[in-house]
Order: sequence, then C-alpha cells, then structure tokens
Amino acid sequence: MNMKRILNLRIGIVLFGLLTILILFTAVSNSFAQEVAVGSATATVLTALAIASSSNIAFGNVYQGIATTIDNTDAAAGIFKVTGQVDAGISLYFQLPEYLSLSDGSSRMTVSFNSTDCSVDTTGADSPTTMNGTKGWLDGDPRSFPGAAQIGSAGTSIYLGGKVTPSLYQAAGSYSGDIILTVSYNGT
Amino acid sequence: MNRFWILIIIYFLIIATTLPLFAADESVTVNNNLTFGTMFPGIPKTIDKSSANAAEFSIGGDAGAEVTIDFSLPTYLSSGSNNMQIIFFTDGCAVDSNSTPNQSSPTYDDLNPWQTLTYDLGSSGLTVWIGGKAVPGFRQPAGTYTADIILTVQYTGL
Repeated sequence: MNMKRILNLRIGIVLFGLLTILILFTAVSNSFAQEVAVGSATATVLTALAIASSSNIAFGNVYQGIATTIDNTDAAAGIFKVTGQVDAGISLYFQLPEYLSLSDGSSRMTVSFNSTDCSVDTTGADSPTTMNGTKGWLDGDPRSFPGAAQIGSAGTSIYLGGKVTPSLYQAAGSYSGDIILTVSYNGT
Repeated sequence: MNRFWILIIIYFLIIATTLPLFAADESVTVNNNLTFGTMFPGIPKTIDKSSANAAEFSIGGDAGAEVTIDFSLPTYLSSGSNNMQIIFFTDGCAVDSNSTPNQSSPTYDDLNPWQTLTYDLGSSGLTVWIGGKAVPGFRQPAGTYTADIILTVQYTGL
C-alpha cells in the first residue's frame, strides 16, 4: 500500500468521524430543542352602562303647611335614562334624600318617597305621562326595584315621584336635594 | 469490496443504530383557547381549568421522557388600545398523562402555571389545561379582547 492511499484512507476516516459527530450532535440538539405553542385568551366585552338624569322632580311652588305630591307618571316626575347592552339585566339602587334644603343649608324641608313612587319603562320613552303597565313596571317601590329589570332596545327610563311637606313656618326659598341612582349589570 | 465501501457501510450502520437512541422531538399543539365569551362591564368572569372553555394543550414525544412546561402568560387582554386585566391563579393549571385525558379529574391538579412544571410524558404524551379570570372595568369599552398564551416544552434529558 503506497503512502498516498494510506493518507487518503486516513483523511476519509477523519472526515467520516467528523461527519458522524456532526450528525449525532444535530440529533442530540434536536432532541433538546424547545417546542412552543401559542394559544390565546379571548373575551367579548359588551356595551358599557350609561345613566343620565333627563329631568329632575319639579315640585314647583309650594305653600307653607301644604304638602305637594308629584306622581311618577306626572310630567313633573324625575326621569333617569339608562343605556347599555340591549336586553341585559340590570340592578338599580336609589339613594333618596330625607329632606331638601336651601343652598346655604339654613333651612330644611321634608321630602318622602313611598312604595309606589317609581316606574321602570323599558321602552326608554322618557315620557312618564304615557307610562303604563305594558311598558315595564308601573308604580313600584324606589327602594326595591324588580329583579328582572333590563335594558330595552332604546334604553330604560326610570320615573320617580315624591312628596314634599313644608312646615307651617317653612322659610321661603328654593330647596333642593340630591337623588342618586346607581345602576350595574347583574350578569343576566 | 475495498476498505472505502466497507467504511461507508459501517458509517451508515452507526448512524442507523445510534439515532433512534435519541428522543423524538417533542411537540405541542393548541386544542382549545381560553374563551371567556361575552362579558358585562364591571362583572369579572372566571373560567375554571376543568371547564370546556379552558385552554387545552397537547404535548407529544417519547413516552416516559421528562419534559419541562413553561407558560408565558399575559397580564391583560387587549382590544386596540384598550386593555382588560386577566388573572391566572396559582392553582389554575392541570396536567394529565393518561391516554384518555380526564379534565375533571386530571393526574396532576391545582398546579401553578407561573412556575416551571416538570412531568414525564405518558403513552399519549401530556394534556395541559389552564383557566383564568378576566376583570373588566365598570367603564370597559366594548370590544373583543385577546392575548397570547405561550406554552414552551423541552426535554430535560431524563
């Protein structure tokens, strides 16, 4: 065997060896490679609630010693409008004042709300004078709304009546008090 | 047959007999995404890991081989420029190594997806579930919110 053949053989052996190591290294590397999957989380958020006071309860001029009542179907009734996801169930909560007061706080006048002073109009008409039982809940308790209240296709209107009782010596002036209505989705 | 060809044959025999000793590549696929569905602003919703709406991943590879499982989890879902918080609980993940995975009673339950999980692949690999909780704000803008849940799997060599 001449030296050239021996050299070629050795070179061949070395190349095969290197190639083998390369292939095995690649195989080992692949076996420890990372695999990654990308999933996702998705959620569809419905329309947010909005509420506005369309009209305040307007008792108008009242006389000392003479109580004045505004029915919830009266044009002077308070009106709140709730909008959001149509047909979604809502929970409503009134914070009602016990008295009205002069702006400087120097005098107070009793205001009261009875258990039939509120109506829920799911037509969203904002029209207390046309409210009736077919449009939602008529003459309900403002401190206990119906559990099935929901948002109508044009929103839901809340009508509120009440009664002020000025004393015989009630100081003259313009009295006011905050009526707060809180609304939230109940998940239905 | 000269020595050269003998070496060629020996070479391929070595390769052919040695390669199978190394594990086949692991694989991971997404079977289900974590789906919260419709949500009302202000009302959080939780999807349990045992729910049909939980995210489900399948991991394949050599039975008996040990793998590490790492989640890369989002902290919020997004819809355009709007974000919504998402929470993954420290017991919100489950893994099953049975050939017929049982989501309601998995082999390994209440796992912490924020930590590296290490398990042996079963005869059909592993199935991984993860749930979560989305928390929309009261004034959360309407829209479809999404985020990636990334699962990385790697053999440990054991």
